[in-house]
Amino acid sequence: MKAHSNFMRSLLSSEFTISGEIDPPRDANRAAVEEQVRHLKEHVVAANVTDNPIGDVIMNTLAPCVIMQELGLEAIYQATCRDRNRIALQSDIIGAAALGIKNVLALTGDHPKMGNHPQAKPVFDLDSVLLTQVLRRLREGENMAGEKLEHPPKIHIGVGLSPGVEPLEPEIIKLEKKIEAGAEFVQTQCIYDEKVLERLKEATSHLDVPILPGIAPLRSVGMAKFMLANVPGISIPEEMMKRLESSSNLTETAIDIAAELISAVKDYGFPGVHIMPVGMDQYVGEMIARSGVR
Amino acid sequence: MIITRQKPMEEIVETLSRYSGVALLGCGGCVAFYQTGGAKQTKEMAAKLRDAGVKVVALGVANRQCYLCEEREVAGLSDAERIRKVARELEGFSELENAEAVLSLACGVGVQNLANILEMPVLPAQNTLFMGRRRVEGDFDLEQCVGCGDCILAFTGGICPVTRCAKSLMNGPCGGVFNGMCEVSKSRVVEHAVPCAWIEIYNKLKKQGRLQELRRIRPPKDFTKAANMRKVAWGVQK
Repeated sequence: MKAHSNFMRSLLSSEFTISGEIDPPRDANRAAVEEQVRHLKEHVVAANVTDNPIGDVIMNTLAPCVIMQELGLEAIYQATCRDRNRIALQSDIIGAAALGIKNVLALTGDHPKMGNHPQAKPVFDLDSVLLTQVLRRLREGENMAGEKLEHPPKIHIGVGLSPGVEPLEPEIIKLEKKIEAGAEFVQTQCIYDEKVLERLKEATSHLDVPILPGIAPLRSVGMAKFMLANVPGISIPEEMMKRLESSSNLTETAIDIAAELISAVKDYGFPGVHIMPVGMDQYVGEMIARSGVR
Repeated sequence: MIITRQKPMEEIVETLSRYSGVALLGCGGCVAFYQTGGAKQTKEMAAKLRDAGVKVVALGVANRQCYLCEEREVAGLSDAERIRKVARELEGFSELENAEAVLSLACGVGVQNLANILEMPVLPAQNTLFMGRRRVEGDFDLEQCVGCGDCILAFTGGICPVTRCAKSLMNGPCGGVFNGMCEVSKSRVVEHAVPCAWIEIYNKLKKQGRLQELRRIRPPKDFTKAANMRKVAWGVQK
C-alpha cells in the first residue's frame, strides 16, 4: 500500500503512532483552534477534528483541518452521516482533498436527538460501512454515480470502534465489514479499563488493520460518573474512581492515569494510541512523556 | 395495522363547533382493533360530543373506511347522489344529508377516502401515527414498517432496521447501544427506552444460524423507491 499521509506512513512503519484530537470551538474563534494545534503539534503525528459531536452546533470539521495543516500538523477529517446525504458527503470529501486533507475517519455520527438541536431532521442516508465503501470508490477514481474522476481524492480511510459495548460480536462483525469496505485504520471509543484493552486485542486478533485504542483523561469524578451514566460501552475500574476521589491535584492524577493507559496500550501490542485531550490539550505532551512509550 | 391516537376532545369540539349538524363515522378496520375508532369508541365519541353541545345527526361504522367505495363507483355522480349512496350503504347514516360535516374516526387514509367522495368537510378525530402492531407486553407499541418500498426483512430476521433503528442503519449497530437499548430512546426528548433493533436482529439471526446475513454488506438504500408522492401505477406490475 502506498502512503499518501504522514499518519499512514507512521502506521506502516514500526514506530508507535500517536494521534491526537482537537475540539472545534462553538464560535468563529480561529485562535482557539490554533492554540490546541500548538499544544499537540510536537507530540502527535496527526490529529482528528470532530464533526459536531452529539449533534451540537460548533465550527465545522473542514475549517480547523485546514488551519491545522497550515500550522504544520496533519489533519484527520471526521466525516459523519448525521447531516449529509451521499451527495454532500462525496462533495465535501472531494473539496477537503483539494484543500490538502489526506486522512478521513468515516463515522455514523450521533443522532440529532442527543444534542442541542433535537428538532433537526436526521439524515443517515449512508452508514459508516457504506461511507467507507464510497470513500474508497472515490479514491479509486469513481463517484457513486459511476462517473470517472480524473483527479481522485488521495485519502486514507479510518473507522471507529466501540470496544466496550455489549454484546461485542455485532460490533466486531461491523468492523469486519468496514475493513472489507476499505478501512485502513481504526480509532476506538475511549477506554479506561485494561480489561477492555485485553478484550479488544482478543476480539480483533484475526484482523489485519492497525487499531489505535482511544484514551481520554478523566478530569474529575463528575466527568467519570457522567461518562459511566451516559456514554455506552464505558467502564471505569473502581480503583481508578478511588484515585480520582482522593486526589489532591486532579490535573496531576488525570495525567498519571492517562499515561498509565497509554503505556498499557503499548504493552498490549497495539501499534499506536489515539489521545482525545477533552480540554487538556496542553498536557498531552506530559501524558506521553510519563507513559514512557517513546 | 395503522396505529392511531384520538385527538384531545377540546380540539375535536373546537373543530366541530362551527357546524350545526355532524355525522360520525367509525371504521371496522385497524382503529376498531386498536380500540380508537371502532363501533364502541364511535358511540362513546357521540355521547361526549352531545355533552359538549355538538348536534350529532348520524352515526355509523364503515366496514373499512379506506375502501368505502371505489372512485369509479362515484365518478359522474352529483354530490347529492354521492351523499345518498354513502347514506344508503351505512347503517345509521340515513341522515347524512342533514349533516354539515363528517367526523371520521378512521386513520388518515380513511379520512381522505371519505373526503374524496363527499363535498362536505370530513374532519379527523385521530392523529394517525404509524404502521405497527399491538404488543402483548410493555406499555408502548412500536412502529414496524415505514413502507420504504424495498423490503429487506428477508436479511434482517424479520425485524426492520429501516423503521426500528433510530438512524435506519443498513449494516449493523452503531456505538449507541446502552445495555441493549438504543441511546436515542434514552435521550430527554423521547418517552420510552426502546431496544436496539440491530441487537435484536443480531440475536434473531444468531438463533437462526444465519449470522452470515449480518456479515454481508447491504447496499445503500435506494430512495427513488421511498420519496414523497409515492404511487402504484396501474398496469405496471401486471
